[in-house]
Amino acid sequence: MAMTQKQRILAVARGEHLDKLPFGARIDVWYNYHSAHKTLPEKYKGWSQTDILRDQGAGAQYRFPAVVKEEYKDMEVVEQHDPPNITTEYRTPVGTVSKKEIFDTSEGPWIKYEMEKLFKSEKDYPVIKYVMEHTIPVDNFEAYYKVRDEVGEDGMVMTGAGLLWSPVQRVMREIIGYELFFYELADRPAEVEELIEVMKDLERRKLKIAIKCDLEIFNICANWSDDIQTPVFKKYFTPWFQEVSDLLHAHGKLAMAHTDGEMRRLLPLFPETRIDIAEAVTPAPQTLVPMTEFRRELGDNITIWGGIPSVLFEPMYSDEEFDAYVKNLFKEMAPGYRFIVGMGDNLPFDGDINRVGRVVELIDKYGNLPIEI
Amino acid sequence: MFDVSLVSKAIEEGNRENAVQLTTEALSAGANPQDIIAHGLQSGMGTVGEKFSSGEYFLPDMLMAARAMNSCLEVLKPLLDKTGIPTIGKVVIGTVEGDMHDIGKNVVATFLKGSGFEVFDLGLNVSDKKFIDEVREKKADILGLSALLTTTMPFMSRIIKALDASGMRSSVKVIVGGAPVTQDYANYIGADAYAHDGGKAITVCKQLVGK
Repeated sequence: MAMTQKQRILAVARGEHLDKLPFGARIDVWYNYHSAHKTLPEKYKGWSQTDILRDQGAGAQYRFPAVVKEEYKDMEVVEQHDPPNITTEYRTPVGTVSKKEIFDTSEGPWIKYEMEKLFKSEKDYPVIKYVMEHTIPVDNFEAYYKVRDEVGEDGMVMTGAGLLWSPVQRVMREIIGYELFFYELADRPAEVEELIEVMKDLERRKLKIAIKCDLEIFNICANWSDDIQTPVFKKYFTPWFQEVSDLLHAHGKLAMAHTDGEMRRLLPLFPETRIDIAEAVTPAPQTLVPMTEFRRELGDNITIWGGIPSVLFEPMYSDEEFDAYVKNLFKEMAPGYRFIVGMGDNLPFDGDINRVGRVVELIDKYGNLPIEI
Repeated sequence: MFDVSLVSKAIEEGNRENAVQLTTEALSAGANPQDIIAHGLQSGMGTVGEKFSSGEYFLPDMLMAARAMNSCLEVLKPLLDKTGIPTIGKVVIGTVEGDMHDIGKNVVATFLKGSGFEVFDLGLNVSDKKFIDEVREKKADILGLSALLTTTMPFMSRIIKALDASGMRSSVKVIVGGAPVTQDYANYIGADAYAHDGGKAITVCKQLVGK
């Protein structure tokens, strides 16, 4: 019996050798935009993402926030919604902190962006620490299973215990902001490190719940850029990833990193993390790194998922240029094992959905394994 | 005569205290504030930019250097109130509408300030109109557009077309950058230049103003 799209992706992620490259395609940016603007192609009006991908012949890569939610105790959390703006205030016995976020999927992206971070100055450390310590993880399995069942065997639902980021990245990006983080790390390292440890404790509590979920691949981090994370990676990121990867492996699960940024100086540090999959791999011309370098640095035991930069789907590249790029990608990845074809990291809103089908055709033509082009 | 290159070295090392102390000593020794800026601060930031582009330096190194530079500028500002800080050009910069990412843009703005440009940073999620109005009002030499998403990248083209429609296109050079942006894309939308990172942006922007 032929393997399903999901089975093929999982098999390669586990290191099995298949007869042909699998393709897990991500189109949520394109889909969200055109659904909201009512500009889906006539043929696809009213269709779900998975149905569209099924029609194009590709496996689906569907995003779901997290299998664990955060609730709060011993504090008052007040949210004000003024779409697309959300202001959240955490009123605790030791003080109040607030953040402002923007959330609007009509332009494509599915995550909230912080316009104003929780951390404003050093006086906020004890309050934020209190908020983290009094955050209660609760399982969100049913919502995840519903989405998983809708996608079915046509692809994978990408999710994890937390939204997207590892504890230190949550502190860097979500809580403090990158620039202020590095100033604080220079000026108040003990306070920053204490916050990181409190965040790790919260994420451990979430993982303890998440590990019971029927989820094969855990997305444990995302959005690195080697100019930001490299100086602090070995000290703050690697030990955490090793801890989480080991926990997941002990439960028969796989760890995945969403590596859609500039990765050159981070690649040599990746294997030590014991993460199994580098997903949303985005090579040149959108970054400086060719696929051959990704494969060389990651070695033969880490699965690479990605390879087609988003910009290749833009109208500025002709179909012929697109085909030539993809064919060359397969050639560079020969023999092609431990490789799942995908986008780095999405189909852009002005991209051509039919190029997803073109990738499927190119796989049929050139993607039999081992690749011999 | 005070060796102003010591200030440059302190900036490169991101040593704020040392940089400020050396700046103060330089002034006490009779060094010209303009020289301190040119051969101390701008020289230091120029080296930081080169090391950032080459991959030797990272964001934290740039941030520490920028903080050191800004602290030195605070020392020098009262002395420059009459003459002003010399600049080699005016840059309006911002992240395009719908885009909430600013770190790349902030890096570029910092490098440009450190290199002698007068920078008007409009922040993030900037409307086309605001860009156009600011370019007009400030008589900017360069407009820098940043986008981190493929969904917002096309707004760069829209802004360039708006500059054209308003008759201002020939009076300002447009440089674009951001994660999904490539040289090919910059060429495709009719931008004048592209820079992959803040360090390269200094070189490119200097070329755009003929320096």
